[in-house]
Amino acid sequence: MDFDDTPDEAAYRTRVRDLLAEHAADLVHLDAGEEATNAAEQEQALRRTQQVLADAGLVGVAWAAEHGGQAGTLAQQAIVGQELARARVPALINHIGLGMCGPTVVAHGTREQHERYLTRLLRADDVWCQLFSEPASGSDLAALRTTAVRDGEDWVVNGQKVWTTLAHVADFGILLTRTDPERPKHGGLTMFVVDMHAPGVTVRPLRQMGGQSDFNEVFFDDVRIPDSERLGEPGEGWRVALTTLLNERVAVGGGGNDLGLSIESLARLAAEKVPALSVDRQVLARQAVGRAAVAALANRYTGYRRLTAISQGGLPGPEASAGKLSATAAARLVSDAGVRLLGDDAVFAVGTGDDDAGRWQRNQAWLPGIAIAGGTDEVLRNIIGERVLGLPPEPREDKHRPFNAAGSAR
Amino acid sequence: MNFDLDQDQVDAAAGARQFFAGEASPAQARAALAGSPLAPGRGALADIGFTGITVAASDGGAGGSLLDLAVVAEQAGAVLAGPSLVTAARAAVLLAGHPELSAALADGSRSFAVVDGERPALDAVDADTFLALVDGDLVVGGGQVAVGQPMDATRGLGVVTLSDTRVLTPEAAALWARARDVALVVLAAEDLGTAGRAVEVGVAYAKERHAFGRAIGSYQAVKHSLVDAWVGVEQLRSLVWWSAWAADRAPDELPLAAAAVAAFAAETLERAAETCIQVHGGIGFTWEHDAHLYWRRAKVDRLLLGDATEHHDVVAGLVLAGALS
Repeated sequence: MDFDDTPDEAAYRTRVRDLLAEHAADLVHLDAGEEATNAAEQEQALRRTQQVLADAGLVGVAWAAEHGGQAGTLAQQAIVGQELARARVPALINHIGLGMCGPTVVAHGTREQHERYLTRLLRADDVWCQLFSEPASGSDLAALRTTAVRDGEDWVVNGQKVWTTLAHVADFGILLTRTDPERPKHGGLTMFVVDMHAPGVTVRPLRQMGGQSDFNEVFFDDVRIPDSERLGEPGEGWRVALTTLLNERVAVGGGGNDLGLSIESLARLAAEKVPALSVDRQVLARQAVGRAAVAALANRYTGYRRLTAISQGGLPGPEASAGKLSATAAARLVSDAGVRLLGDDAVFAVGTGDDDAGRWQRNQAWLPGIAIAGGTDEVLRNIIGERVLGLPPEPREDKHRPFNAAGSAR
Repeated sequence: MNFDLDQDQVDAAAGARQFFAGEASPAQARAALAGSPLAPGRGALADIGFTGITVAASDGGAGGSLLDLAVVAEQAGAVLAGPSLVTAARAAVLLAGHPELSAALADGSRSFAVVDGERPALDAVDADTFLALVDGDLVVGGGQVAVGQPMDATRGLGVVTLSDTRVLTPEAAALWARARDVALVVLAAEDLGTAGRAVEVGVAYAKERHAFGRAIGSYQAVKHSLVDAWVGVEQLRSLVWWSAWAADRAPDELPLAAAAVAAFAAETLERAAETCIQVHGGIGFTWEHDAHLYWRRAKVDRLLLGDATEHHDVVAGLVLAGALS
């Protein structure tokens, strides 16, 4: 057991630092304490940042060379992530593409699709989004109703997706559709790559509770997708989607990273605010900071175990769901401790300002969403209960019935 | 980074699991409440070498790491074994450099307990040699032990009045602090074993017991409580490994890691034990069922060597002083 870099890893880290320093002028950087801003506002700069990093060999580190990657190790990929954070380079604009869409195209796409998409995805020449949830199917994803109907060499898509992060800047998306309503709900789905600029695709940004617009609703009106853009066989869409979802739960919280403002941010805020409190209030504030720190450490070191398992060749399993669950729980403690330290400022400045008040308020208003996105806490608990602990599922009455039978497709 | 046990540790855990399964059980923990001797007892723990895992090889121990001891302690916790390996680990730190006493710890010829002032001391009941910090010096000697009605008899708690002490190490505050941190780590390792077993027992029952026509584990209310307890156990395992590793390999991190793991262990075991009872319903509330034995361990351990409130405060103090930056 050790937490140190091997000599190879240490050499790699040095190289990464040198590259980041060399290209610093071409990269977007965050100021201390600042978090990533709305992708749309800085779209071009963020695309350029990813392009520079990709050309320097720092994107897709663990992807196979045939897919445009560096054929490196997951440990190297983790090192790049750490060094980007250290250099205060914000999250890559194509993080959905890198974390979810790309691995899905790799696993289920044809050679032509690999060649067409993957290198451009790594360079953010194309930004990707994930078109899964619908107004009537969130946690019950397999109940989705967007249809794709075969018409010659094309499929014709009609329906609506929602909560689609980055759709407003995306060039392509992976789109889960219903192609056979006669079959039970999981068996009638098919996945496609969709051109977000195709006629009939309409993107409408949604405004979140904190005031920002990171996600969208997307309408499909007679959108034609060539059959060559299918990912996997017709009717195999659920299996393809599971690849995406597993990767999502590793990408979000699986590595033990903090969600939202970090425990280090809380430590900085607390070091400033706590000494000014009355002695009684200090005792209470220290309890909140201590509890948040312990939760963040427990999550962080559990993530290290998961990264170790993955780097030794293990695949992300259902246990990865626990990472997102505990990362969310820790983030809530960190957020609440931080907001309370603001004192009376905590009731002003919602969603505005680059000061502490604005940052912690935005963080607080963002967390309810992270507990829902990519699997709600309840769905994750079901996955762990059923697939890790082996507890029986709740009865799912519509599971084996044709989707279009009464009681299924409402 | 390689945050996993090595093969020797995996093998040692399997061996310890087998040993403890044959030598101790919740049934014996229940019998201990009525005065039966502890299982496996000090002699058996010394004979198999567990009291000497972290004692130097030159003093008759195995010269192992605290992580080596922690993986064994987890297995001890799973069957509510007594006495505690916490005492062995803590005494080994305090006795390092004193070959005769270290050898006596490893071979079991002396029965040690470590005393924190007037607070109930772990494994004091059948101890003959006591270690304590008096006026900043580490002392060793005899003592009188006052025992109460035990809540968890496997912990051997007693209040000790020292006698015939001599100074073993003068100005030993730093050594004492390190030994106490090591004790927190091993206590958490035992709690990890107990909590893991309580969850296993709860999960098994939730698969078997039917209500309203289906297994109760299929209901989300039951399933989600068990999942939350299980997630806690897995996170506790990570903190146990990290803190045990830090004790040997990154001593600067030990105070933070030890306080963090102690706070987390107290709450994780308590939740696991409470969940185990609630999942069982009425049968889980009976004397005959094992659930209350895990619960007793939880309710006692959470108050030994400081409670979660104290540990959270220590963590906060270290964090405010820059431990994470």
